Amino acid sequence: MTDDRVFKALADPTRRFLLDRLYERDGRTLSELESELEMTRFGVMKHLRLLEDAGLVVTRRSGREKLHYLNPVPIRLIHDRWIDKYRERYVSALADLKNELEETA
Amino acid sequence: MTTMTAQTTQVYQLFIKATPERVWDAITKSEFTTRYFFASRIEMTDGRRRAYGPNGELWGDSAILEEDPPRRLVHEWQGLYDPDLAAETTSRVTWEIEPQDGGITKLTLIHDHLEGAPKTAESVAGGWMLVLSGLKTLLETGQPLAG
Repeated sequence: MTDDRVFKALADPTRRFLLDRLYERDGRTLSELESELEMTRFGVMKHLRLLEDAGLVVTRRSGREKLHYLNPVPIRLIHDRWIDKYRERYVSALADLKNELEETA
Repeated sequence: MTTMTAQTTQVYQLFIKATPERVWDAITKSEFTTRYFFASRIEMTDGRRRAYGPNGELWGDSAILEEDPPRRLVHEWQGLYDPDLAAETTSRVTWEIEPQDGGITKLTLIHDHLEGAPKTAESVAGGWMLVLSGLKTLLETGQPLAG
């Protein structure tokens, strides 16, 4: 299940930090990302692999370099599936409240 | 404080429960594009990819650089639907379609060469997300996204 992998990938501060770095500027190499973390190269690679498995990071080759890009689609799909509908309910609850208050006023 | 500027290379990837051939048709044939691509009628003829708005206005007219159905499509991009965007330099869109196990297709869209087109980069960043989630919904359910 893709959603499980996305939630699991997001449930870690280092991985969220990596996503924020890529949000600021995309197309970074492992070395660039590693330089911003107090962590071994192997540790950063492990986190990046989890992000890639969840589809949150997509890698592309550019010559000899492997560049990491943030893929915003899975977060959007989670948003549509898990957040948007609750927000709608909240909004419609407020609208109902307004109607009710105005009717009794 | 960091200011956010839209990326000059944007990568979007998603998995769609559909064959590569259906994904190809959905991105190249107007009977599909009108249902998820901001209602635009996209036509690919004579090495050009043209997009028309609902009233026939020309929204895009760009060269096709590579066409390898149902795997790969590369075309130039210039938004003619807004004079500010039309004044910017031409960028490039690459569609990569890869079959996966279990009747799933991986679709990767790369919009790059946006260095000379900051307004376009800003404009398409939200746009591609809507287009791609609309494409996925249409192919998987047969229905366009509500909206």
